[in-house]
Amino acid sequence: MDDAATLGTTSSRPRRQAGPYAGLGRGLIIVASIILVGCAGFETLHETGITSFGFENWRPILYAFLLWGVALGVGQVLIRGEAGKRALFILPAALFTVAMAIFPTIFGLSIAFTDWNLSSTTGQRFNGIDNLVALFHDGYFWNALLNMVYYVLMVLVEYAIAFGLALLLNAEIKARKFFRVAFLLPFMLSPVAVSWMVGKSMMEYRYGPMANLMRFFGWSSPSFFTNPWIARFSIEAMDAWVAIPFVMILLLAGLQAMSKEVQEAARIDGATGWQLFWRITFPLMLPVSVTAIALRVIFKLKLADIVINTTSGGPGGATDTVSSFIYREYRDRSNVGYGTMLAMFYLVIIVVFVTFLLDFAGRLVRRFAT
Amino acid sequence: MKVADYDRYLRLSRRNLLKGGTALGAMAAAGAVGLNPTRSFADAAPLPADEMSLRKAILAIPGIGKGQPGDAEWQKVGEMVLGSTKASVKQGEFAGVELSFMGLNNQNLHNMLFRGFLKPWEAYTGAKITWIDLAQADYNARLQQSVATKTVDFDIIEMGAPFEGDVCGKGLTSEMPDWVKKQIDMDDLVNYLKPPVGTWDGKQYRVTIDGDTHNFNYRTDYFADADLAKAWTAAGNSTPWAVPRTWQQVQAVTKFLKGQKIKGQDAYGYLDAPKPWGGFGFYFLGSRATAYAKHPDDKAWLFDPDTMKPRVNNPAWVRAIQDVLDALPSEPPDQLNADPNETGFSQFLGGTGSMCVWWGDIGSNAKTNDSSVVGDVCGFDILPGSDDVYNSKTGKWEKLASGPNFAPNLAYLGWGVYVMARVDSDPKKQKAAWSAAAHLGGKDLAIWTAMYPSGFQCYRNSQSNIDEWVSAGYDKDFITSYLNSQFNSYNHPNGAIEPRIPGIFQYYSAAEDILANIFAGKMKAQDGADAISAAWEKLTDQIGRDNQIKLYKASLGM
Repeated sequence: MDDAATLGTTSSRPRRQAGPYAGLGRGLIIVASIILVGCAGFETLHETGITSFGFENWRPILYAFLLWGVALGVGQVLIRGEAGKRALFILPAALFTVAMAIFPTIFGLSIAFTDWNLSSTTGQRFNGIDNLVALFHDGYFWNALLNMVYYVLMVLVEYAIAFGLALLLNAEIKARKFFRVAFLLPFMLSPVAVSWMVGKSMMEYRYGPMANLMRFFGWSSPSFFTNPWIARFSIEAMDAWVAIPFVMILLLAGLQAMSKEVQEAARIDGATGWQLFWRITFPLMLPVSVTAIALRVIFKLKLADIVINTTSGGPGGATDTVSSFIYREYRDRSNVGYGTMLAMFYLVIIVVFVTFLLDFAGRLVRRFAT
Repeated sequence: MKVADYDRYLRLSRRNLLKGGTALGAMAAAGAVGLNPTRSFADAAPLPADEMSLRKAILAIPGIGKGQPGDAEWQKVGEMVLGSTKASVKQGEFAGVELSFMGLNNQNLHNMLFRGFLKPWEAYTGAKITWIDLAQADYNARLQQSVATKTVDFDIIEMGAPFEGDVCGKGLTSEMPDWVKKQIDMDDLVNYLKPPVGTWDGKQYRVTIDGDTHNFNYRTDYFADADLAKAWTAAGNSTPWAVPRTWQQVQAVTKFLKGQKIKGQDAYGYLDAPKPWGGFGFYFLGSRATAYAKHPDDKAWLFDPDTMKPRVNNPAWVRAIQDVLDALPSEPPDQLNADPNETGFSQFLGGTGSMCVWWGDIGSNAKTNDSSVVGDVCGFDILPGSDDVYNSKTGKWEKLASGPNFAPNLAYLGWGVYVMARVDSDPKKQKAAWSAAAHLGGKDLAIWTAMYPSGFQCYRNSQSNIDEWVSAGYDKDFITSYLNSQFNSYNHPNGAIEPRIPGIFQYYSAAEDILANIFAGKMKAQDGADAISAAWEKLTDQIGRDNQIKLYKASLGM
C-alpha cells in the first residue's frame, strides 16, 4: 500500500514524476528568482537613499520579472514534464494577472497610506491612517457618494426602459432590424462626445435645440445645469441615453433565447398579456436581468466623464460623482496619496456593494424560481 | 512712477478725452477708443530700418483679414526670422542632435506653430526635434508626474511662470547662457515679465514668449445706447450712463441691466464664471478681488508673506465673493454653470452680456473669430478699480487720496520656453536646445504671434507700436483700445503678481470646489472663505511651509 492510497486522496491523480532535467529546471528558477529579487532589492536600496548607486528607473526590474516568468515556465516543464507543459496554459495568464492586477493593487495600497503631494519638497511620506481619517471627514467625498446612491437607484428606471424597448424589438414590428441598429447607436458614442454634443450643445441655454423646445413648452428659463435636481436629472438622462442600449441588448438576447413553448402554453391556458409578462417572461428573464443590472451598476459607479465635461460636479457638488472627485484630487491637486486612498476605499465599497447585490439577486431569482 | 501719480495720470487723460462733449456723446466716443489714454504705456524704442522691413514682410504672411495662417505660413515666417540664429550657429552645427519638446496643442496652436517655426531651424542647424503634445487639461498632471517620479523625458518645455516653483525650484532647468539673453533682447520685455519672473535664486531660466494679464472687456454699444441711458437716469441714478470704472459701478450696472433690453434682446451686465475650470477659474475671482485686496503699499495680496497665512478670508476677498453672489441673480439664468471659456467665448463674443474679464484673447478674437459678433462694438480697459482698498497690515478699509485703487491681475504671467537641465551634460545638445528656445523667443517672431492666432499675447515693448499694427491691417481705434488695456496692465505699478510657488494650482483648485458651493448657495461668503483658508493652510503644511514662504517672497521680489 503506497502513501497515496493510505491517505486516500491522490490515488486517482497521475503521479508526478521528476523529468531528467529537474535539477536544471530548479536551478533556472532559482537563478531567475535571485536576479529578480536582487534587482528589486538593489533598486529599492537606491530609491530609498540607502545606496547612492542604482538603475535609472524601475524598467530593469520589469525585464527581470519577464525573465523570471520565462524561467518559471521553462523550469516547470523541465521539472514536471507533461504536467509542467499543462501548467504553461495557465501560467502566463496567472503571471499577467499578478503583474497587471494584484501587484498594482498592492502597490496602490502602499501609496494610499502615504502623504504624497507631487509638489511637496519632502516627497512621499508614510502617514498611517491619516488619509482614511481625512476621508471620513471629507464632506465632498460623502456628498459625491450620496449622489452615487441616486445615480445607482436610477439604474432601475434605466432597466425598466430597456426592458420595454427589448420587448418592443422582440415583437413582430415593422422595420425591426432598423430599430435594433438605431437604438444601439447611442451606445456606440463616447460619453465624452455625448457630453459635448448633448450637454454643451443641444442643452445649451441660448441656442440649444432642447432649450428651445423647452421654451416652446413654456419653460421660460430652460437652464439644465443650474438647479441641483434638474442638473442631476440632466446628467442621468445623458448617461442613461448612452447606456440603456447596452442593457436593452442583453435583455433582448435573453428574450430571444427564451423558450416560446412556455409562453404559447400560457396563452392557450388563457393568460392575459400582463399575466404572461409578470408570471412567465419576467421570472424567466430574472437571471439575465440580474446580470444586466449588476453590470450596469458597476458601469454606473464609474460615472465621471459626462460630469467632468458638462458640470465639473456642479452646481455646488450636486452632480459630483466619486470618480470625478477623485479625478480632481489627482489631476488638479496632484494629491496622489489621498487620491489613491479615495480610490481604494471606493473599490472596497464597490466590491462589498456588488457582492451584496449579487447575493440579493440570487435569492430573488431562487424565490421566483420556486 | 508712484501709484497715485499713475492713477491721477489715467484720470486726467480720460478727462481730456471726454472734454468738450456731452457725457453721453463722449462715452460713446470713449467706447470706440476704449476709454484709455492713447499710448500711456511705455513707448517702444524705434527699430532699425532693416528690422522694420523684415517685420513688415513677415506681417504680410498671410496678411490680416486674409484667413488663418497654417503650417506653410508658420514655416515661412520661421525661415524669415532665422537671421539671429544664423549669427550664433553655423549651418549643420547641431547635426545628430535630437531634442524632445513638450508643449500644448490648445486649439491646434502652440506646439503646432512651434513645429512650423522650428522646421527651418532644424533644416539649418541639422538638429531633429520630436514632439510631446498635451491638452491643457493634461498638462499639469503630466508635468507634475514627470517631476515627482524623476522621469523628465523632454529637453525643452513650454511652461507657464506659475510652474516655475515646481520645476526651476527643484533644479530641473538649465540656466540661460548670456548669448541667449542677447539674442532675444530681454530688455525689450515689458516690466512685469522681467526678473524675478523667469528666474530662480537669481538665475535666469525662461525665454518669454507670451504676456498675460486680465483686462476688462465691454460692449461699447451698451454704453452708447440712448434708451438704456434714459432708463438708467429714470431708475434714479445720478451718475451718467457710462462704462464702469470701479467694481462698485460694475455691480450697479449689472443689477440695473437685469430686465432691460438692447436691440430687442435681453440685456445683461457683468458675466461671472462660477463653474470650476481646473483651477484656472480662481483667476476670475482674483480679478474681482485685486482692487479690494492689493494695497499699493503691499506687494502681497494672496498670502501673508511672512507666514503664508492665507488672506483669502479677509474682508477684501469676502467682499469680492459677496459681489459674485449679489450679481449672479442679475446675470443670465444659466450663469452658475458657466466657466471662463463659456463667459468669454460663448457668451461675450457671442453677444450675451456687456462686461467680462479675460486674458487678452477676447481682444485678439473679437475681430478674427468666426463666432464673434462683437468685433465692432468691443472696448477694452484695465480691470475696474475700487473706491476703497483693504489694508491687510492695519486691518482697515482705506480711501486713497489718489482716488479709486486699481490693481490689474497679472494672471499667469504668460507662457515661456524652458530648457531642461538634463541637456547640460552635453554642450552641443545644450546649445542646440537654447538655440531652439531663443528662435521661438525672438523679437520679430513676437510681433507676428501677437497679430495672428497663436495663443500668445503681447509681451514686449516693441509690440506696442500702434502704427505697425495699423499698417498691418488693424483698425486704429480698436487696436489702440486693446493695446492700452494690455500695456497699461503690464506696466501698472500696483499690478497683482502671480505667486510662483509650487502647487499654486492646487490652491486654486481647492478654492474652486469650495467657491462652487458658495455660489450655489450652500455656504455663506465668509464661511466659504474660511473653508478655503483652512484648505490652503493644510496644503501649505503638506507642501512645506518654510519653503513656500521663501519662494513666495522670492516670487514677489521681496
